[in-house]
Amino acid sequence: MLQPTDLELEAIRLSLRVAFWSVACSLPVAIAVAWLLARTRFPGKILLDGLVHLPLVVPPVVVGFLLLVLFGRRGPIGGWLYDTFGITIIFTWKGAALAAAVMAFPLMVRAIRLSLEAVDRRLEAAARTLGARRFDVFMTITLPLMTPGILAGVVLAFARSLGEFGATITFVSNIPGETRTIPVAIYTLTQTPDGDVGALRLSIIAVILALIALVASELLARRVNARITG
Amino acid sequence: MTRTSRRVLLTVLAGLLLTMAAPVQAKDLLVFAAASLRNAAEDIGKAYEASGAGKVTYSFAASSDLAKQIENGAPAALYISADTKWMDYLADRKLIVTDSRRDLLGNRLVLIAPADSKLAIKLAAGAPLAQSLGDGKLAMADPDSVPAGRYGKAALESLALWSSVEPAVVRAKDVRATLVFVERGEAAAGIVYATDAMISKKVRIVDEFPESSHPKIVYPVALIAGQDDAAAHAFYDYLVGPKARGVFLDYGFSIIGAGAATN
Repeated sequence: MLQPTDLELEAIRLSLRVAFWSVACSLPVAIAVAWLLARTRFPGKILLDGLVHLPLVVPPVVVGFLLLVLFGRRGPIGGWLYDTFGITIIFTWKGAALAAAVMAFPLMVRAIRLSLEAVDRRLEAAARTLGARRFDVFMTITLPLMTPGILAGVVLAFARSLGEFGATITFVSNIPGETRTIPVAIYTLTQTPDGDVGALRLSIIAVILALIALVASELLARRVNARITG
Repeated sequence: MTRTSRRVLLTVLAGLLLTMAAPVQAKDLLVFAAASLRNAAEDIGKAYEASGAGKVTYSFAASSDLAKQIENGAPAALYISADTKWMDYLADRKLIVTDSRRDLLGNRLVLIAPADSKLAIKLAAGAPLAQSLGDGKLAMADPDSVPAGRYGKAALESLALWSSVEPAVVRAKDVRATLVFVERGEAAAGIVYATDAMISKKVRIVDEFPESSHPKIVYPVALIAGQDDAAAHAFYDYLVGPKARGVFLDYGFSIIGAGAATN
């Protein structure tokens, strides 16, 4: 009962890869956007804020369809990527990572933004008066102080990426070994007669992976907190 | 909590209660139908409502999805599957009213391509389908479970094409999701029912699969055990009757079973 089949193992490996790349590629963007939202004022900021949070409230199938329209081979962005670099996003694991990244983006930005807002700006000011350049201040003062929030954001986004289903199946469909992640594999198994055992097994694995991620984020955040305050 | 915010909260709660109560009051008839039936079934539902007989609510999805939902207690009164396998699945579990089961419709399986595509191929044993696709994808409903995909896989297998095109296969959620991939030109070709190809201007039929290449496409209908009240029976009779038959024919389905003709 507990021994996963090869197909299920393939889904687990693929999910981990998709979630890793989803988080790795969106992290720098998320930090930049969190910075814009927390530290700057510009016209249309409220719009950017709304746009970032959109994937939390829009149906995932809508996100998937928009990705299909934009990043498909005939879409404006997908077409350009293919013509210029020969990169195909749609129907590949890269597309699955993109869908996961978009859906997890708000969670990541929120966590990072909160930690950025909690950074004591007097520490940055002190560093500036001591002659540090803006970029150095960010790298040596601000970023280390944000670490708990960044870690929390990364882990939340990783867990969310592991669970992405609606946008994924709409955008990159269900291809074994390429886009059949854990949730898509569970969906496939629930559609198959006598697939219930496998679906249950993968569901348990999904819950365990999510729990590990959440506990890890909590432990990491605590350790970092202890180092900063203590 | 201020008075205003309390009032707001109460209004929201009252609204929520109303939305929960609404479906119970209306007593809509819930019909589960294969995704390929969407347009035809919706027209039939509208005509039925216009005749004053009552309201019909549909849930369209892959037949496999719907069968699993019924197995898990979904309150459907009627189920129309796109193959006999999933109806058998429910029959084996004693979830349908046995003597209400009848084969309602037939359909044909076709290979489609985006309207502006130049793909041309005659579907026969050993046809160069994989070569024609090039690096393009072949979209079809999941060949392991969804009827349209299973018919498609059977047809490709009997034409000895499956193993060569399998790496190019993109598995869609249901037959209508397949249609979207081809309409948008993201898949070079797709396998859908003739009726699906007919409702879209953005795709064209490349060729029809020989009828002998796949199991006969049959849409059985049945009442769901325990949900077969008078309203369900009334709509069932309408569905197998001449008015509904006209709509199904307009959409390109064929009518099967002598029973349908006597109505």
